[in-house]
Amino acid sequence: MSDEHSARPPEGMRTLPRGDSAQRKGAQMTAPVVEVAALRTRLDGRWVHDGVSFTLRPGEIVALIGGSGSGKTVLLNQLVGLRHPDGGQVKLFGEDLARMGVEALQALRRRFGLLFQDGALFSAMRVAENVAAPLREHLPWLSAPLRDEVVDLKLALAGLPVDAACKMPSELSGGMRKRAALARALALEPELLFLDEPTSGLDPISAREFDSTLRVLVDSLGLTVLLTTHDLDSLWGLADRVIVLFEGKVIADGPVREVARIEHAWIRSYFDTRALE
Amino acid sequence: MSNAASPEPCCHLELGADGQVLRLRGDWTLARLPELQARLHALAIDPLQPLQLDASGLGALDSAGANHLLSHLERLGVPFPNLHLAGFSAQGLALLNLVAGRRGGVAPHSRRRGRRGLRQVVGWHAFDIARGTRSGLAFIGQTGQALGHLLRHPGLVRWRELFVQLEMVGLRALPIVMLMSYLIGVVFAYLLGIQMQKFSANHLVVDGVGIGIAREMAPLITAVLMAGRSGAAFTAHLGAMKVNQEIDAIVTLGLSPFQVLVLPRLFAIVLMLPLLTFVADVAGFVGAAHVAAWHLDIPTASFYDRLRDVLPLNTVLFGLEKTPVFAAAIALIACHSGFTVKRDARSVGLHTTATVVRSIVAVILIDAIFAVAYPEIEP
Ligand SMILES: Nc1ncnc2c1ncn2[C@@H]1O[C@H](COP(=O)(O)OP(=O)(O)O)[C@@H](O)[C@H]1O
Ligand SMILES: [Mg+2]
Repeated sequence: MSDEHSARPPEGMRTLPRGDSAQRKGAQMTAPVVEVAALRTRLDGRWVHDGVSFTLRPGEIVALIGGSGSGKTVLLNQLVGLRHPDGGQVKLFGEDLARMGVEALQALRRRFGLLFQDGALFSAMRVAENVAAPLREHLPWLSAPLRDEVVDLKLALAGLPVDAACKMPSELSGGMRKRAALARALALEPELLFLDEPTSGLDPISAREFDSTLRVLVDSLGLTVLLTTHDLDSLWGLADRVIVLFEGKVIADGPVREVARIEHAWIRSYFDTRALE
Repeated sequence: MSNAASPEPCCHLELGADGQVLRLRGDWTLARLPELQARLHALAIDPLQPLQLDASGLGALDSAGANHLLSHLERLGVPFPNLHLAGFSAQGLALLNLVAGRRGGVAPHSRRRGRRGLRQVVGWHAFDIARGTRSGLAFIGQTGQALGHLLRHPGLVRWRELFVQLEMVGLRALPIVMLMSYLIGVVFAYLLGIQMQKFSANHLVVDGVGIGIAREMAPLITAVLMAGRSGAAFTAHLGAMKVNQEIDAIVTLGLSPFQVLVLPRLFAIVLMLPLLTFVADVAGFVGAAHVAAWHLDIPTASFYDRLRDVLPLNTVLFGLEKTPVFAAAIALIACHSGFTVKRDARSVGLHTTATVVRSIVAVILIDAIFAVAYPEIEP
């Protein structure tokens, strides 16, 4: 299985000019950004994932939904290479994570960002230093004024107020922590973003603002996004496509309107929580 | 355009009939910022003339590149609404609009803390010490209050936590305490033996080793080990709980963190340190007896006989009596330090280090006070 996949040259994605929307819009034709094939994970004697497969095409916002404990966070950790799956294959930008060396994986990490469920900001650094950290690591030759300029931009893009830059993470509200974490995830101009429950713990107004920030960023920066969420409003308002994870398998994959109509007990009760209102 | 062989400059300015045209070429991306900066700053753009941005030759554009261009033009006095944009893709236009709309005036340099002068540094440290002393005293007071409450309501004793701590502080420390003390006994007997052999007074080694170990060595070594082992563990554990807001959660549940966290640790270490010190006494004597038998021709039986004769019980008890005071100092310093951790990970490390240093200093200070206060305890 893996040979057939790796035979395809991975260069197609990388040479795609970032600024050209014509190629972005023809997303269905271009090579996938993320490919997950028959992924299996065993945790505590239980198969958390038992043959999970899906793909992400450039420019898409895809929502991954499933009950609490269905393995969404674990799956994201595997996609970014923090965990190894117990079976199956994960490809980012056409390259098989399992076959990559440490160096190649480090280089690849510059091309995607991850927003952890609780932000995972460095608690001993100010917000601005948190955003500057990836720039310092990967672009050490960038002069301090240029780095500050980029940091200010990312904070502004993530929708943080000016005075947040010099605060410590422990002084931020939940919504601001998420925004600060988003700014850090955006620091290196990633092509791909993984977001773990970006709007959980936010009030509905902040959550919608976060969604619209994300939409604008995706449309104008040409990002591809995979997010997990429990927020039905994000699902309807933001996601181009929904993937439903249930009992270790993908039971639905398609536009929200279609998925919401599927006759499956879990999907029914998931979407019906909103229909009651 | 003329110099096709060399890498194309990323931009150049043309003067036309109806104003200036800034032609963008190549990639305007984060990785090329320094080059873009140098090139842009070399251009003589006239803010009074109309300016057109021409993107027909533009390669990739990302937010950092767009931002750099727009901020430079703005600093020159050409705000985004005054620009004429030509040749941008839909996505490029969206990006420019996003960047122009979001960029706020960020107060420059406000993020860096200015350097402090010497007087300020001294002042801050004095203030820190004063504040630390005050909060330390308050902590001791609160612990005493909790202790009083516990004596009036003995049903509140947290037995489970106490037994967990007794095991962690006492039982698990046994092997290392025994090993350390045995080795100290070996070294002590060996060095004394070298001296005593010169006077053929080998048997006097027993006197020296007995008093030295029982009165100073075993209590100090054990207390220092406890400071490094349990003191650090207390601070790190309570500090991590503080970071996770677990201590706030305990308070919210209507419990007292002093009853739940501080007192069990205080009791555990106050109970265990004398016991461990006694074990250390014995292990030290065993080590010394081994050296005496191997190197000094003192049979083990006569070593212990002489030890019984020359080591007064008072000296052993004096050594043991100090240890609950050492223990209380370690527990109070460690728990106070854990409670004052700020909500970040680095603070946990700093406070743990401070605990170890402070409790070792405290132990040695207390030991010195005992030595001066009870000089008459001599054989
Ligand atoms: N490090 C771990 N060790 C053992 N089990 C884990 C670990 N991390 C997660 N799990 C288990 O894996 C399952 C999926 O967890 P997670 O991915 O966090 O769920 P969610 O979909 O809510 O994000 C849960 O049942 C959890 O108990
Ligand atoms: Mg999760």
